[in-house]
Amino acid sequence: MGSSLPHVERAYTRRDALIQGGAGFGGVALSWLLGNDSVAAEAKAADPLAAKQPHHKAKAKSVIFLFMEGGPSHIDLFDPKPLLNKLHGQKLPNTFKPVILAMGENDAPLMGCKRTFKQHGKGGLWFSDWVPHMATCADDLAVVRSCWMDGINHSGGVCQMNTGSILAGRPSLGSWVSYGLGTENTNLPAFVVMQDNAASVVNGPRNWGAGFMPAVYQGTRLDAGKEPIPNLHTPAAIGDDRQKQKLDYLAKLNQRHAEARPEQTELDARIRAYELAFRMQAEAPEAVDLSKESAETLSLYGADEKETETFGRQCLLARRLVERGVRFVQLYHGAGSKWDSHSNLDKNHSALCKSMDKPVAGLLADLKRRGLLDSTLVVWGGEFGRTPQSEQGNGRDHNPYGFTMLMAGAGVKGGRAYGATDELGLHAVEDRLHVHDLHATWLHLLGADHMKLVYKHKGRPERPTLNEGEPFTRLVTG
Amino acid sequence: MPRGVCSFVIAPTILALLTIPVVGADDHFEKSVRPLLAEHCLRCHGPDKQKGGLRVDSREALLTGGESGPALVLGKPDESLFVQALKHQGLKMPPGKQLPDEQVAVLTKWIKDGATWGGQTTTTGSATGHAARKPGQITDTDRGWWAFQKPTRSELPKAGANWAKTPIDHFIAQRLEAEKLPHAAEASRETLIRRLTFDLTGLPPTPAEVTAFVEDRSADAYEKLVERLLASPRYGERQSRAWLDVVRYAESDGYRADGARPHAWKYRDYVIRAFNADIGYDRFVREQLAGDELYPNDPNALIATGYFRLGQYEYNQKDVRGQWAAIQNDITDVTADAFLALGMGCARCHDHKFDPVLQKDYFSLQSFFAGIRFVDEPVFPSAAAKTEYEAQLAAWEVKTATLREKMAALLSPVVAKIQANMGNTYPPEIQAVLRKPAAERNPGERQLYELAMRQIRELEFDRAPAHLGKRKDEYDALKKELDATAKPAAPMAMIARDLGPDAAEVLIPGGRKKAVAVEPAFPVVLGASPPAIHTRRDSTGRRAALAEWLTQKDHPLTARVMVNRIWQGHFGSGLVATASDFGTLGEKPSHPELLDWLAVEFVEHGWSMKHIHRLIVTSAVYRQASVGTKGATADPENRLLSRMSVRRLDAEQVRDAMLAVSGELKLDAGGPAVPASTPQRSVYTRVHRNSPDPLIASFDVADGITSCARRNITVTPTQALLLMNGNGTLARAEAFAARVMPADGKNAPAGVTEAYRRAFGRSPTTEEAAEALEFLKQQVGVARNAVTPDSRRKGWSDFCHSLLNSNEFLYID
Repeated sequence: MGSSLPHVERAYTRRDALIQGGAGFGGVALSWLLGNDSVAAEAKAADPLAAKQPHHKAKAKSVIFLFMEGGPSHIDLFDPKPLLNKLHGQKLPNTFKPVILAMGENDAPLMGCKRTFKQHGKGGLWFSDWVPHMATCADDLAVVRSCWMDGINHSGGVCQMNTGSILAGRPSLGSWVSYGLGTENTNLPAFVVMQDNAASVVNGPRNWGAGFMPAVYQGTRLDAGKEPIPNLHTPAAIGDDRQKQKLDYLAKLNQRHAEARPEQTELDARIRAYELAFRMQAEAPEAVDLSKESAETLSLYGADEKETETFGRQCLLARRLVERGVRFVQLYHGAGSKWDSHSNLDKNHSALCKSMDKPVAGLLADLKRRGLLDSTLVVWGGEFGRTPQSEQGNGRDHNPYGFTMLMAGAGVKGGRAYGATDELGLHAVEDRLHVHDLHATWLHLLGADHMKLVYKHKGRPERPTLNEGEPFTRLVTG
Repeated sequence: MPRGVCSFVIAPTILALLTIPVVGADDHFEKSVRPLLAEHCLRCHGPDKQKGGLRVDSREALLTGGESGPALVLGKPDESLFVQALKHQGLKMPPGKQLPDEQVAVLTKWIKDGATWGGQTTTTGSATGHAARKPGQITDTDRGWWAFQKPTRSELPKAGANWAKTPIDHFIAQRLEAEKLPHAAEASRETLIRRLTFDLTGLPPTPAEVTAFVEDRSADAYEKLVERLLASPRYGERQSRAWLDVVRYAESDGYRADGARPHAWKYRDYVIRAFNADIGYDRFVREQLAGDELYPNDPNALIATGYFRLGQYEYNQKDVRGQWAAIQNDITDVTADAFLALGMGCARCHDHKFDPVLQKDYFSLQSFFAGIRFVDEPVFPSAAAKTEYEAQLAAWEVKTATLREKMAALLSPVVAKIQANMGNTYPPEIQAVLRKPAAERNPGERQLYELAMRQIRELEFDRAPAHLGKRKDEYDALKKELDATAKPAAPMAMIARDLGPDAAEVLIPGGRKKAVAVEPAFPVVLGASPPAIHTRRDSTGRRAALAEWLTQKDHPLTARVMVNRIWQGHFGSGLVATASDFGTLGEKPSHPELLDWLAVEFVEHGWSMKHIHRLIVTSAVYRQASVGTKGATADPENRLLSRMSVRRLDAEQVRDAMLAVSGELKLDAGGPAVPASTPQRSVYTRVHRNSPDPLIASFDVADGITSCARRNITVTPTQALLLMNGNGTLARAEAFAARVMPADGKNAPAGVTEAYRRAFGRSPTTEEAAEALEFLKQQVGVARNAVTPDSRRKGWSDFCHSLLNSNEFLYID
């Protein structure tokens, strides 16, 4: 039962129940596993991650954010620009407002797009030949072509796309969502992050950090494999028997300590944290175990092909997590700025699109056929797009001034494009949507009002979009 | 403390734990009404503009109304012009699209309910003091805010005569008596020494220390203990940490590359030394803000200016002007937070919506730093050291001259090419600055030049050897030869100086209006006279003027802010709970007279921080037990201090205590940061912004990115997993076990007692000892008749590991 948001916690009675019932660690853990126990329900109400009522009726229960790290080229994927090909090799006409370029090839000529674009779906949306599978989902996808942001470098860009600010220190959007809405399944982290390779994402784990909020709202990095969460399993050298006895002994120590300090409810919370860890041990490996998925499903995601296997498995994991009530799932594709194609854009994007396209399409199709797409917002995009100007002859520089993001699910009206960039794809010009607008929109779909979602920090009311932005409701109203 | 409906069941720690947004008396207004007004109305009817003569940023202003008359009729929304306009009946507001029905309903209901404003129906002395404020002006109400009055020492209350040990206690007793709350009994000696040792030094007491104190029957046993701990070098290692949080200390650049700062530790060691030497907070402030100007011959004071170098830096930011502005803003924000406890960040873009801080104030404060330049230079401990270094360097230069010439000759074509294209990739404005003759650059341009050149040097010139092509091997061979010559190492430090006597112009960004230049000035609301700036030959003297003003004996904020931080370190919460926000959005002091008394006492005792620590820890209120009073239900947050609050160890204490208990801790002090795997105190371990140590991070360490006045206290399964399954804790447990397990396998009870005493600072009860022995039997294999040396080791390790995981270890009573 969710309390309304933001909430005030009760954390007292469960202790009494525990003490009166004489339940130990194992007993309580068991009650959780069996579910629906009044003791467990009481503890749940005291959990800062317990599900809360949204501000308004939510379209989305969960978010899957497919983050193409490094900045994919919108003009080579979703935002065709015939004029660019016409002006190939020429300088940017001076009718276009000049921009600061991260790499500063200020006089580099425009570079035409080598892709072939075709219209797809009932809506006739344009997709380039790099994303043939995503094109099959055209009627579910809203192509938002007028995004813009403030960071010209990856660090600021990735930071803003995650936290709303190009400067570090603020909570990630997933943290805001965890704080505001809690999670449907407290046995798993509310906010999960995965990467397609082991490289460090730009800025490191603070991209999913809770900033000034308590760490309980931070994202948890999940790895596909035997130990999805660091330190999840009992070390082999200890073994289950020793561990079990140790935990029982620890429960006794803690219980005696807590009994002498009845007013210190945080001590209860800490006992509960061990229980939650125990439950995660049971639930997380199951959540990431793909062995029960059918061959057909694996194939849908491309999890059975070499090029698409890694991201395909992760997209499938994302679906499994959302199914299990995880609130916010973020997948980094090209982790470590792999989409950053300053040179050799063709080679770079061909390979990355190949590994990403089918898994994303598979995810959309799978969510849809399972009825999950209605309640899941899927977002696709990077920290920025790329310039129409060339760099190093065959690459493109960063373009935070205008780029494309895709959205699907959660009532978003697909099959059409929203907003527009100028004739070369440099600046967003029509229905311009800043990152704050995008965040406000996603929060809106989750039932949260970006101006009412307030966290008081250092005496000041902090909001996820720094008091700016407006939800772009046309995405759902059409 | 209005706290909503559930206050009776909420204990203080759970609040800290969850850090729930404070639900004020008028939550509805703050959450629902104010945002709507701010978003839809203030642009035209606020401090900047008053279209139709109307402002809607206070209740009074709405009641007064504008040209069309009063905007509100209390309780009667239908008769209120405001609501009529919202419903587009006659007037149409906001212009253009009507607000959604639910928003109109919110505002209508608010007026129907009497239009309370932030829990107040009048504005006098409230958070809405700015109501009648015109743009750029401060009212008498603003000036009347408690934190802007000079602290005065009031007479000691009579209360608590039989209980008080220090003057502090009289103030505490006065409120307890007024609220009819009892105080708690004094804590046991074991509890006291554990509490005190952790608080003052960050470490647990050793069993021998506990015994000595418990058995010391002299009347001043406690006072002697306090003096011993205050004199310990461990004191500075502990107390520095809170300050390092406030100034967001880290040893890396942040942003993407997060480059290491190999000399940053000098500042950390400076802070530790300053606390240990108790140099006086006034001196501490002056050294950090203006050490170069005020004490140019004092190496400590030069290193202290590293304060300005602690922010983030992006090594490849082409928007040089943007980055310099961000650096300046960051310095301004941190300075306001740290020394004034005024959150000024909001005023960067507009007059503060809640606090009496003007946009002009923000940039006037920034002007004090407008002459600054960042330098990495050797700071020698003495003139003799400098002479010696210079002699060594000269000898080295002679010895390696030929070698270096050869290298330079090899590089010269590459360097010439870099020089020819220098700056071409920067925006036109920066290119122009780079190309200007040095003499023609004004101070602001010099700052941009230096910032751009730092990038060009690091990214281009320093990387020149990579472009040598075929001659690279030749160069590398010479480089190898050079590296083998042992160039004398200079004691480098990251410090700040000024460009010269002139500062850069500081402008208040105008947006659509014209930008306005400002000069250094103190926040208007503090009513101070203009700064007395004495320009030096090589320095603007601006920072010195700021430092002198801040450390005036009767400054309303400086002393109050610092004694409050010290108080927070001992009770978990300050007398003002928002330690870096003494403004109108912060919490008001729980004991204002006590805060003032301490501030005056602080200044009169030479700003001695040890003196304040001593006063606090010798008080009766500090020595109370944490359990067993009625106060818990009446005052769940323990703002009145009818007992001691139970506190969790913070991140560094968790790690340090584990190392101390396991016997692995090395008390080496100072020097370059070590990896977390080295068993030194946590204050000496590496602090990289993008890759914090997992254990330290999971226990809520400050992020080193923005100023942190008070850490969150969270409880997460990640912590449980780390403590239970993580290698580090297991290794600590093994070392701990090796220390306490009986060598001959006999006398297990002695080992259990030893482990308890090390981990908890007390002996086990009979029942606890029996339980521990039972657990050991089971783990060691007695129960299965399978005892081996290995199984004994494992069993004891499990026992010690359980103690390290226990709440009694992680919490201080």
